[in-house]
Amino acid sequence: MTTLLDRPAPVSSRPVRDRRRWGWAIAAVGLVGWALVDSGLFSGAVLNPGGAAQFGRFASAAFRPELAPEFLAVVAESALVTVAYAVLGGGLAVLLGAVGAVAVARSTWGRRRTGWLVARGVVALPRGLHEAVWGLLLLNVLGLDPWVGVLAIAIPYGAVTATVFAGILDEVPRSGYDALLAAGAGRSAAALYGLLPHAAGSLLSYAFYRLECAVRSAVVLGLIGAGGLGYQLSLSFTSLRWEQVWTTVYALAVLCLAADAGGRAVRRRVADPRPGGDRDRVLTGAGVVVLALTGWAVWYLTLSPASLVSARALEQLSYVVSAAWPPSTEGALLADVAGAALDTVLMSVLAIAFATAGAVALAGLAARPPSAGLPRRFTGALVRATLLLLRAVPPPVWALVLLFVLLPGVLPGALALGVYTLGVLGRLVGEAVEESDRRPTEALRSAGASPVGAWLYGTVPSLAGPVLALACYRWEVAIRDTVLVGLLGAGGIGVLLSAATASFDWPAVATVLAAIVLLSLVVDLVSERARAALR
Amino acid sequence: MSTAAAARSGGPAPRIPLLSRRALLAGTGVAVAAALAGCTSSSAEDAAAPLRIGAIPDQDPEVLQRLYGTVADSLAAALDLEVEYRPVTDYAAAVSLFRTGDLDLVWFGGLTGVQARLQTRGAVPIAQRDIDEAFRSVFVVHAGTGLAPSDDLAPLAGLRFTYGSETSTSGRLMPAYFLSEAGVDPQGFPGGPGFSGSHDATITLVASGSYQAGVLNEQVWDSRLGEGGITDSDLVEYTRTPTYHDYHWLLGPKAVERLGADLPERLTAYFTGLTQDDDAEVLELFGAGSFIPTEAANYELIEQIGRDLGLVR
Repeated sequence: MTTLLDRPAPVSSRPVRDRRRWGWAIAAVGLVGWALVDSGLFSGAVLNPGGAAQFGRFASAAFRPELAPEFLAVVAESALVTVAYAVLGGGLAVLLGAVGAVAVARSTWGRRRTGWLVARGVVALPRGLHEAVWGLLLLNVLGLDPWVGVLAIAIPYGAVTATVFAGILDEVPRSGYDALLAAGAGRSAAALYGLLPHAAGSLLSYAFYRLECAVRSAVVLGLIGAGGLGYQLSLSFTSLRWEQVWTTVYALAVLCLAADAGGRAVRRRVADPRPGGDRDRVLTGAGVVVLALTGWAVWYLTLSPASLVSARALEQLSYVVSAAWPPSTEGALLADVAGAALDTVLMSVLAIAFATAGAVALAGLAARPPSAGLPRRFTGALVRATLLLLRAVPPPVWALVLLFVLLPGVLPGALALGVYTLGVLGRLVGEAVEESDRRPTEALRSAGASPVGAWLYGTVPSLAGPVLALACYRWEVAIRDTVLVGLLGAGGIGVLLSAATASFDWPAVATVLAAIVLLSLVVDLVSERARAALR
Repeated sequence: MSTAAAARSGGPAPRIPLLSRRALLAGTGVAVAAALAGCTSSSAEDAAAPLRIGAIPDQDPEVLQRLYGTVADSLAAALDLEVEYRPVTDYAAAVSLFRTGDLDLVWFGGLTGVQARLQTRGAVPIAQRDIDEAFRSVFVVHAGTGLAPSDDLAPLAGLRFTYGSETSTSGRLMPAYFLSEAGVDPQGFPGGPGFSGSHDATITLVASGSYQAGVLNEQVWDSRLGEGGITDSDLVEYTRTPTYHDYHWLLGPKAVERLGADLPERLTAYFTGLTQDDDAEVLELFGAGSFIPTEAANYELIEQIGRDLGLVR
């Protein structure tokens, strides 16, 4: 389901040989090859076997997490903070997304392409920056206010949600809407009664999916001081207390699992409504729970709208803006930015290539088969748990740990992102497999094809499109995430950003941020074209 | 037949759901309005706001919670003030929060203290530990490099080298200065220098051999040696730097406005008055024998080096 939500998945049509596809395929292979060569994989040693002991210490701590009662109490309280931020941030993002969707939907603009393009460009700005970057910026304006954590999630997520909501609205059947317009209804009334009912299910599903993502983001924000699990994780990480790190990671995994299970239940209900006109109790219950959680979170974090418009916030905003304007245009900085941007692209390409290959390899195991024996189910659960842990460990931790066994360079950062993205992509691809049409494979099997043959000719063709679409989507995300591993000095544009923020060189910060937004915009456009070619 | 279908075909009307959509929406509206109205306004400008202390943590969570809980309690009792500890994880964040007035009294490193003071007019250094007057950094190398301990930094130039955090005084700034004094380009090194992010990470990265050399805070190194945490025979202490000033307490101007012009003197008196007999707990948590007064002039060299390295503007 999620598969379809992130991006409308291309519908597989009759197999036609498309020259454009060949072009894209060659370009993709070339890019991955370039990234591999650039990473130094073929030009010298990249492994550092001496660090196996240090890596082993990290890995073995997974089996003996810190379980001291005092620490568990700290973790439990932090988990509450994380939940509060996730619920408020995710909830606000959905609200912003709903409003923003109207502004960026093609339906709103009709034939006025310029207006639509401008709206899309405006949304690209908040979307292009990572939550952690928003956190740092907001911290400078709002100080230690809980709004920092909430808005740092809500602003970028709101922009993503707006784009996706707009996509959903634009792709639902339009006959009702057109009929209402023809009958003389106003545009907004027509949209409310003609478009919204069709889209409601997908919109709700996506809203719950965002909530799951918000949990992981709330942790990343803790790394910059918003409190919660991420704060505890960052403290334990700073002093390399791996047992404590794992306890926090497990707590986070449990939260993710809970959000995932809730979201899955809601999505299933939405996708397959029960017959009858009664209100679905599960859906109503989920709505009530979310509202109750929101109220509790507002109370728990003592969130006050007054601090958003306080004189102090405005004063700090003007300080930051006047310090950052005009952005630096020093030649040396621009050259650095260009070089780092290239590194970032190559790093993200490596990460995505690794994650996609891994996700495809694991997809068969990660999917829940309709009927399977106990060993198969156990393996499936194990693979899914591993994927969950891969994405529960934040990328900066992966970067340091991989740096124990790899020599410094682009590779540890790229692999750190790749491992983390594999955690996310593995799950998404697994779901795509679950939802794929099993009939071609079964037909081939019953016609006597070998399992491998049936998989190659029955499953792969129908999955290639959605998987590549997902890979493209995560590529954009990976570009933003490189900032996280850059903060650890693993290379890319994040290094420049952390250098500029560390020295409070606001004009340089502005330039680097502009470069990041531009970069993610370009990647967005390129992957949009690639997806179009796949359709 | 479903109820809706039954209703459409003239059957009994479907029962009204327990919670109608309108009731749900109205309830939500009321709840949200109540929640928003119940919130109090920001306390940042409040005259009765407590003294907010903060620090950049480089120790593990419980120690940290205890450390600042203890300090906050002791401070509150001694000065008859309400004191609140606010945790922050990031050097840059702590400096910004000091500027915005969210943190009043912060335990800064040498460089971050200078950055915070330059961004916050009227900030005053309050006190430093006895060991901060003569702080050192330790250069460590991986045994595989074959380098024997020496005072000559030049051989480090050809090694993969990592600093600690970018704005760490002992993990970056002063070592970079001493390297350049020894004729080694502090931004040189094969592949460029790394930034491990923390002193402990530097130890582990050099022990792993991924980086062949690194530099860190003398206090952390000594304490890890003392705990027996460094059992890697792969790690060699290469040399210690000359001494410099490092950590200190810095007080922001807004606290002085709020809590009285004599606040800096009272705080300095409190810190320097801590004794091993009565306040062993606080001193031990800071790893200090005692606190001594300090002044802005102690950090002029740090400011100069910071400017040369582009870390202070």
